[in-house]
Amino acid sequence: MSPLILKLILHSAWQTLEMVVASTALSVILGLPLALFMIATGPQGLYRLPFAARLMGMVVDAVRAVPFIILLVLLIPVTRFIAGTSLGTEAAIVPLSIAGIPYFARIAEMALREVDSGLVDAVRAMGGTRMTIIRSVLIAEALPGLVTGVTVTLITMVGASAMAGVIGAGGLGDLAIRYGYQRFNTTVMFGVVVVLIIMVSLMQVIGNSLARWLKH
Amino acid sequence: MNPILDIQHVTHSFGQHTALQDISFSVKQGEVVGLIGRSGAGKSTLLRCLCALERPQQGHILLDGVDLTTQPERQLVRIRRRIGLVFQHFNLLTSRTVAGNIALPLQIAGCPRREQAGRIAELLELVGLKGFEKKYPSQLSGGQKQRVGIARALAANPTLLLCDEATSALDPESTNSILNLLADINRKLGLTIVLITHEMEVVRRFAQRILVLDHGRLVEDGTLLDFLRDGQNNRTLQTLLADIRPSLPAFLGETLVSTPPQGHHRAIIRIVLSGNGASEPLFSALYEKFGVQTALLQGGVTTISERLSGDMILSFEGDRTEQALDHLKTAAQNMEILGYVPSHP
Repeated sequence: MSPLILKLILHSAWQTLEMVVASTALSVILGLPLALFMIATGPQGLYRLPFAARLMGMVVDAVRAVPFIILLVLLIPVTRFIAGTSLGTEAAIVPLSIAGIPYFARIAEMALREVDSGLVDAVRAMGGTRMTIIRSVLIAEALPGLVTGVTVTLITMVGASAMAGVIGAGGLGDLAIRYGYQRFNTTVMFGVVVVLIIMVSLMQVIGNSLARWLKH
Repeated sequence: MNPILDIQHVTHSFGQHTALQDISFSVKQGEVVGLIGRSGAGKSTLLRCLCALERPQQGHILLDGVDLTTQPERQLVRIRRRIGLVFQHFNLLTSRTVAGNIALPLQIAGCPRREQAGRIAELLELVGLKGFEKKYPSQLSGGQKQRVGIARALAANPTLLLCDEATSALDPESTNSILNLLADINRKLGLTIVLITHEMEVVRRFAQRILVLDHGRLVEDGTLLDFLRDGQNNRTLQTLLADIRPSLPAFLGETLVSTPPQGHHRAIIRIVLSGNGASEPLFSALYEKFGVQTALLQGGVTTISERLSGDMILSFEGDRTEQALDHLKTAAQNMEILGYVPSHP
């Protein structure tokens, strides 16, 4: 493998990481409140607004129903509005996040639903405010599950970022298509695959051990 | 003295189903009250009303003079901090250590952080878990978890401690130690305790008063001794009492006849004794006075509400059995002739 190809792969790997980490971070920051909203307004929730819960669920499902490659193209005007351009690594973070937010929200919702309702009752009976319940019970108790959710979202974003090459986002997927597939460069193709496998495995291992550590 | 808890005509229903119907009772400061009923009797609903998680549709609940049913939700949040709740399934946060769990009500009450550690150590000492601060609930046994649950319930100095089936998920040994701990807390702190349970055994030892719930109604209010003495006509009470009462062995029951047979026979009687009667040498007196030989078939003397009480099935044999029984009637709280069996020569 020539140093040039190595440099190319490392550069693309960096771009992929950039997209994956930034979009996952945004998905968690915005998806978690969304999940809490769905749980809190749901039938057994702390605020009980069934209509709001159903509406939010529908929006989440609608976004998740659109295949990412289509969402990518569909969102070009939105991307241009937010990022100033619809091309490049930074621009790709916009559609990746928009796909990631409802994705993580559903996973987080599942993790939050697993929290024993007896604990919510216990803290309510203690005179805890709803904010205390959300912070000390829901989020704290669901943390191992939420961490697993972050891991799954990270890995999903690695896959999705490959498609972002369509809007010139760069990254490993884009590199594999242009050099590996279109130019028949097997070395690049294999190099990319190896780097992706390492990247995903590392994410999984770190995520798993963090979740296990948090589980006590 | 005003009661610490005063329940007045509480009625609550879910749709068509009436969970509680016109419940009234009051609890005095420092009293230990057992609230007993079978599943579906309305215990859980009453508990939720007592700890201000549910607002009854009718009636009033006064805690230390404050009516919970008319308070706005914001006030109820504050009132709940003064009620300690111990749960059947402990409900400890798995994400927090023992100290963290006990700290939660302190944090909610706004207790300064530097005062928390001292209070936690004090509580752990009280429940017999000294030095357990840094352990996680997953590292504890059921009995230990419940001790943490009790420490947590006591943390914010509640005026009332509610125990919801607090020992139902525990093995007999842990049940014993938890009940002893609760009795101890009642003695040491003078704390009012309401024990909610479906087991008579739980309330037998130290509940000073027992309330029986059945189909959403309060059907009995008295001491266990009252019930043993004259609660025999209440079916619910009978089934609840059956758990802790001696019963005639089946093989004896088969040979039992209602009238004294010819020849040698023994009278089988059930007797309830309390106070002095339970500890006096009653049976030797019967032998000396009437020449009646007594055998204990089932039961014995136990502690009810911290007093000795006897609940037993005996057999009497002798020529002057009738006189002996008459004599016993004056000494015993409740005596019942179950029947007669022929005795082997």
